Amino acid sequence: MSVKLANIVKDFPGGRALNNVNVVFGFDEIHGLIGENGAGKSTLVNILGGSLAPSHGEILIEGNAVKLTTPRLALLHGIAHVSQEGSLVPQLTGAENILLGAEPRRLGGVLRHQELMEQANSLLHKWFPEVSISLDQPVGELDVADRKIIEIVRALRGDTSILILDEPTAALQSREKMQLWEIIRSLPARGVGVVLISHFLSEIKQLSDRITVLRDGEHVDTLGAGDTTESGLVDLMLRRSADEGAVFKKKPSQPVGKTTVLEVNDWKAGKVDVPEFSLKAGEIVGLIGLTGAGHFGFARSLYSRQGLLSGTVRICGKDVAGNVREMQRNGVAFVPDHRMENALMPDGSVTENLSMVHSSFAANHGVLNLAAEKTEVMRIVDLLNIKLNNRNQLVRELSGGNKQKVSLGKWLYGAADRYRVMIFIEPTEGVDIGAKQEIYRQIRALAEQGVGVLIASSDLLEIEQVTQRVVPFVHGRPGKSIPAEEFSEARFIGALTGEAA
Amino acid sequence: MSMKEQKMTSSQNKKSMINMEWIQKYSTFVVLILMFVGFAISIDRFATIFNLTNILQQISILTIVGCGLTFGFAAKEIDLSVGYTVGLAGILVPMLLVNGFDVWFALSAGMAAGLVVGVTNGLLVTKVGIPSLIATLAIGSVLFGINFLLTGGRAIYGGLPDSFLFLGQGRIMGVPILAFFMLGAVVLAWFVMERTVFGRYIYAVGGNQKAAELSGVRIVFYRTAALAIVALFAAAAGALLAARLGSGQPNVGERYLLDGLATVFIGMTMFRPGTATILGTFCGALFIGIIDNGLNLIGMDTYVQNIVKGIVILVAVAIVSRTTSLKLL
Repeated sequence: MSVKLANIVKDFPGGRALNNVNVVFGFDEIHGLIGENGAGKSTLVNILGGSLAPSHGEILIEGNAVKLTTPRLALLHGIAHVSQEGSLVPQLTGAENILLGAEPRRLGGVLRHQELMEQANSLLHKWFPEVSISLDQPVGELDVADRKIIEIVRALRGDTSILILDEPTAALQSREKMQLWEIIRSLPARGVGVVLISHFLSEIKQLSDRITVLRDGEHVDTLGAGDTTESGLVDLMLRRSADEGAVFKKKPSQPVGKTTVLEVNDWKAGKVDVPEFSLKAGEIVGLIGLTGAGHFGFARSLYSRQGLLSGTVRICGKDVAGNVREMQRNGVAFVPDHRMENALMPDGSVTENLSMVHSSFAANHGVLNLAAEKTEVMRIVDLLNIKLNNRNQLVRELSGGNKQKVSLGKWLYGAADRYRVMIFIEPTEGVDIGAKQEIYRQIRALAEQGVGVLIASSDLLEIEQVTQRVVPFVHGRPGKSIPAEEFSEARFIGALTGEAA
Repeated sequence: MSMKEQKMTSSQNKKSMINMEWIQKYSTFVVLILMFVGFAISIDRFATIFNLTNILQQISILTIVGCGLTFGFAAKEIDLSVGYTVGLAGILVPMLLVNGFDVWFALSAGMAAGLVVGVTNGLLVTKVGIPSLIATLAIGSVLFGINFLLTGGRAIYGGLPDSFLFLGQGRIMGVPILAFFMLGAVVLAWFVMERTVFGRYIYAVGGNQKAAELSGVRIVFYRTAALAIVALFAAAAGALLAARLGSGQPNVGERYLLDGLATVFIGMTMFRPGTATILGTFCGALFIGIIDNGLNLIGMDTYVQNIVKGIVILVAVAIVSRTTSLKLL
C-alpha cells in the first residue's frame, strides 16, 4: 500500500524546481524528506498534496494513476497536507476548525452545535487519547502546539492514508515536541503513512523509517534511517558543494576594516531581543536561525523599525533615529526577501524598477534625464550581468535570478559609493547557481569597497561560503558568534538547535 | 531533441511571444481605427470636418477627467467622487461669476474646491486608512448633497461673462477652444507621468506599495497627491463644462464617473497592458467619443449608448484582468 511519484518534473518561470523525481511513500512508514532550502521539498509535497500540478510525470496510488489537481481531490484520495504556516481559521473554535467544511447540519444548513462538539472530541480522542485540548475555544487563543494538533486531527478526519507534515515542530518547545513525536510515531501502525519535512536532522533521523534526500530538484537517494548517520545525511544534502565550490572558492580571509559602521544596542522588536550587535567596514556577517528564530526579524526591523519596542542604531558613530528614509540617507541599503512582494513592481519595466530608489539620479528639478538614466541602467545591467531582451522589458518576465539581480541593482543604480551598510535577507532565494555566483561576487565587491554587509539567510551553504562571521539566533536572541575558522554545516546546525557541535 | 532543434523551438516561441505581446499592446488601438474607418464608410456625416471637431469638443471634458483618474489608477487609487467634483466646480464657478466675481477668481476658487476635495480623499485614504473605493464613495455622497444645497436643485444661468462662455463654446479657426484645453491637459499630464520623478513615484506607489515604501518613497505623500490631482483635473473639467453649457447644473457631472472610468479601463488594455497611461486614457476617450458619436448619428437611443458603454467597460476590464496580473482594489 503506497503512493508513487513517478518521473515528476516541475518547471517554474524561474527555472526547474524538480527534475525527474521518483519516490514511493508507504502507508505504513514515516518517510523523512530532507534537503536544503530550494531543494524542492515543498514543491514535491505540494504536488503530492494537490496544490501544484507537475509539469510532467504521474502519481500512482497502488499502481493506479491519479490526477491530484486540487487539495480537495488529494484529500479524497486519502492524502492530507498540514503545511508549515498553519491553515486554521483563528476566529473559529477547535471543533469548528476540525470539522471545517464537513460540519453536521440540519436541513437548510443550520449547524448542529452539540453534535459538532461531540464529533470533534471523539476524533481528537480517537487519534490522540492522551491529549486534552478545549475544543470550544477560538483556536487563535490556543498555543502553537495545540493548534498543530488540531490541524493534524483535521487532516486525519477523513479516510487518510498519507499525512504530509511540513516542519511540524518548527515553532514548538522541546516538551511539546516530544509529545508531537509520540503522536507522529503512532500513526503508521494505524494505517497512516507520514511524509515528514523537517530542518532538524536529529528529528528526521529518530522518527523516520526511510529518508529521501533532495538536492537542487534532483532525487539524490532514499535510504533506511538505520543505515545512515546525521553527518551522512548532511553530506548527501550538500554534496553538490564540491562542484559549486570549484566555481566559488572560499575567499582568502578578507581584511576587515577598523571602523565600526553599524552599532546596535538593546534592540527589542517583537520577540527579537539583541542586547548588542556591531558590524565593521568591509565585514560580511551572516545571521542564521530556524524558522521564527528572529534572525530575519532583526535584519528587517533594523531597517524598517517595524514592531520596534526599544533600541538604538548608530551608523558610522552617528545615532539614526528614523526609519527607512533616514536609514537610507545615512547609507543603509536593504535588499529584502520575497522580492516580488517587497522589492519589485512586477508590471514595471526593468528601467522603472532599477530607478525606484534613486529616481532623481541625474534629474533636473524633478525632470528625468532619460539619456543619463539609460546609461546608468545599462551600467547596472552590465555590472550584474542581468539577462534581458531590452531595458523596458517587464520585470515579471525575467527569471528568478535576474529578478533578484534587479532587486539588488536598484540599490546600486545612481548610488555611487554612498552605502556604509547593506542588509540582505535571503539574497539568493529561488535563484539559479549562475546568478548566485554573480550576487556573491557583488556582495564581496561591496565589502571590498568598505561596506559592512549583513546577510540573514536560511541557506547555510551560502552563509558558509560568503560570510566571515556568523551569529546564530535562537528564540529571538543572538548566540555566540562563530568565527570563519569554525565554519561547518554541523557547527551551524548545532548552534541553531542548541546541541553541542 | 538535439541542441539545434531546441534552439529552433525556443526562437519560434520567442517569435510567437512577440506577436502575442504586439496583440496585447495594440489590439484595442486597431479596434479603435477599424471602428473609425467603419463609421466613416457607413455614415455619410461621420467623416466631415464639422463632425470630427464636434467629437473633439465632446470628448474634451471627458479626457480631462480621464487624465486625472489616470494618476489615481497609476497609484492604485480609485476616485468614485470624481463626477460630483466635476459638478461642484461646475456650480461654484458660475455661481461666483453670477455674483460679480471676475473670471480668474472664479476659476481659481473652483480649482481650490477641487484641491480641498482631493486632499480630503487622500488623507482619508492614507491617514485614516479607509480604502479609496469606500472613502470616495462616501465623499461623493457628501458632495452630491452639497451640490444640491448650493443650487437648491436649480440651474444657475444668466449673466455669465462672454469671456467665460468663450472657453467652452468658442472656436479658433474652426477648432474648439475646449480641444486646446484637452490637448494642454494631455500634454501636461503625460509629461508629469512619463518624464518626471514625481510620475515615477506615482507609478511606484501603484506598482508595489510595499516595495516603494522599503525603497524610501514617501507613499503617504504620493498617494495623497494622486487623489488630489484626480480632483484638480475634475474641477477644471467642471469649470469648462459650465462654460460649455452656459450654466451651472447640479447633476451633469455624474456621468463623468462612469465615462471617466471607462476611458481609463480602455486605456489600460493598450500600450502598457494593465497600467493606466495618459496616452491610453486619451485613446480610451476617443474610443468612447467615437462610439457615442457614431451611435448618435445612426439614431440610436441614448439609453442604448449606455448599454453599449457598460459592455465596453466590462470587455476592457475582462481583457486587462485576464491578461495581466492587475488586481483592481
